[in-house]
Amino acid sequence: MTDALETLRHDVRAWLEAEAPKDWRTTCQTHEGFLATQRGWFAKLAAGGYAVPHWPEQWPGGGRGLAEQKLIYEEFARADTPRLLLSFMSTYHAASTLFEWGSSEQQARYIPRILEGEIWCQGFSEPNAGSDLANVRTRAERRGDVYVVNGQKTWSTMGQFADQCLLLVRTSSEGAKQAGLTYLLLDLKTRGVTARPIHQIHGDEEFAELFLDDVEVPVANRLGDEGQGWAVAQSTLSSERGLTLLELSARMRGALWRIADRIRAQDRGNDAGILRDFGRLATKIDATCALADQFLANRIAGEERVGDASLVKLSYSRTLREFTALGLRIGALDAQYHEPIIFGGGMETGNWMADFMNSYAWTIAGGSDEVQRNIISERLLGMPREPKGWTLEQRA
Amino acid sequence: MTMTRAELQDAARQAFGGADLVPDAERAWGLIAEMGWLMMTVPEDRGGLGLGREAAGVIHTEIGRALVPGPGIAQLMVIEALSAADDLRERDDLLARAMGGEVMTASLSPGATLDCVPDADRASHVLVLSADRVALVPLDGASLTERETWDKTRRLFDVEPIAIGLTLATGDAAAALGERIEAQLLFALTGDSLGGADAILERTLDYLKIRHQFGRPLALFQALKHRVADMKTWLAAAEALFWNRALDPGATLTEIGALKAHATNVYRAIAEDAIQLHGGIGLTMEYHCHLFLKRATLNAVLGGDADHWEERVGRRALEAG
Repeated sequence: MTDALETLRHDVRAWLEAEAPKDWRTTCQTHEGFLATQRGWFAKLAAGGYAVPHWPEQWPGGGRGLAEQKLIYEEFARADTPRLLLSFMSTYHAASTLFEWGSSEQQARYIPRILEGEIWCQGFSEPNAGSDLANVRTRAERRGDVYVVNGQKTWSTMGQFADQCLLLVRTSSEGAKQAGLTYLLLDLKTRGVTARPIHQIHGDEEFAELFLDDVEVPVANRLGDEGQGWAVAQSTLSSERGLTLLELSARMRGALWRIADRIRAQDRGNDAGILRDFGRLATKIDATCALADQFLANRIAGEERVGDASLVKLSYSRTLREFTALGLRIGALDAQYHEPIIFGGGMETGNWMADFMNSYAWTIAGGSDEVQRNIISERLLGMPREPKGWTLEQRA
Repeated sequence: MTMTRAELQDAARQAFGGADLVPDAERAWGLIAEMGWLMMTVPEDRGGLGLGREAAGVIHTEIGRALVPGPGIAQLMVIEALSAADDLRERDDLLARAMGGEVMTASLSPGATLDCVPDADRASHVLVLSADRVALVPLDGASLTERETWDKTRRLFDVEPIAIGLTLATGDAAAALGERIEAQLLFALTGDSLGGADAILERTLDYLKIRHQFGRPLALFQALKHRVADMKTWLAAAEALFWNRALDPGATLTEIGALKAHATNVYRAIAEDAIQLHGGIGLTMEYHCHLFLKRATLNAVLGGDADHWEERVGRRALEAG
């Protein structure tokens, strides 16, 4: 490691020791506590210059190389800070899309407000457009200098707490499905917007449904041209690749003590069966960490291949399922008695039933395991693509 | 290392990549010695190339990929032990002979008896590891019993030497050296397994692309695509961990053992499913699938099996957590 990176690690570590919240697992037992923790921690990071290391250098807090970003996230994981759930879409998805597609007016208007804590959510998925995103049906009709939007969005992360929304809408039904999409920036305080939280099976509410009823969006709030929405959306979806999984893998590694604690509590420290399963899991986590690390190294060297990111995500998601399944097993009957969850507590809280159910988030969201397997087989392994052309008529 | 991993890989792939699987043992051994693979990890002041564990990783991966027969893993264990034997008068001579290709072998399953010793009938010496002594023992007059294995790419012997041999280390130094050699064995088996897993996966992909059933290539069936995607994912993660630990001088024996258990699990799973994905032809002796599966299952038991290492790493993780 270079001296500059060593110095940065030293600085970040010292800063985290002074500033990182210690008691957040306690304060996040209510929604209000969660929101206050998230907002307070983000404000500290923004003031300390660590909130947006990935931004271009003309913006405050930005201009850090990938190696520096990696180091910062490693230190976050090590210090067991709260993950930045509330501001994640804002600092990554919204910002990256604005940097790439936004006019200078749009950037000047929105980017500084992100650092001040404005929250963005994503309005892409719909009840009938999940893995098949091109199937978006929410309509936007142009009337003078506004679009009038009607439809329903779902799985909008933190949508119930957000101020702004990255909205993918259909402006045309002609031609290829992708060609009729347009990308809008929606102020969620606009009349006709209703956000309703989704109650997840583990008890948290990290997502919302958005109902859009004759919602007017100024044409000036469009990103890219009309019909360019698919291309803009691709920027949004590829805005964050690698760092999150590196951080999450490191956090899973750092949470092995929770399983170790249970093994000791059950006096099973000499139970070869459980030790083997635990050992196998520890090695799989090490392998996932090494893969995430290698992926970022390849990215830094400019050697990333299409599909590499899918390997990391699939390796992480499957290993996380195994981690939580072993936790649930060793949690035994205790894990079956309901305990209140920690909101935004991360993937490994030690509330095993909740963690086990929450771990599906990574096998389904952000491109399900099945979509990742398609990408890996087609892009990395050279298998032929699924033939197109299966239509509704064939179903009849 | 002065040569990059990719350069070394290219050179190695040229040596064995073009040829058939399981190249002729004698020719392969000549090639290995000629290319300097046996002097790769020996320090420069002892006549070697002074390359690290990463270079050894490349060699073992390529040997595994082409199912190269011969005592490569054992020979490198001997060479490692000789390099460390600072007090031995005959060291430089023996080391030069071993690096030049004179076969000196060792057990791939170190324990109370000398079994799983590859190519003992061609070897001049065998390495003997015990708790308080590491020795290089001449095989003159030794009793050798060849044990026919299912894996036809390896020839293993039970060995009972009669000579006392040359002492390379005693006492605490012997224990430390024994551990180092054990780690090297496990690391070598890992490389061999990951190379083999990559090769059989590649061959399976080729087969899925050319084999047609129901009027389309097998590669178009999503059920099969998803299986090979899973294989690729586990393999990629295991490979990442392999290179990561290759470059980590602080990696412990338990960590290398856990890596070996993981890599052989992956190899075995891929080789097992490869037969299923090949269908009937995968069950024939003429086709190559079974060669990988048999080498995978042998690698899985050599040097301590997954039960052994997973329990050890589990215990360590319990103590750490």
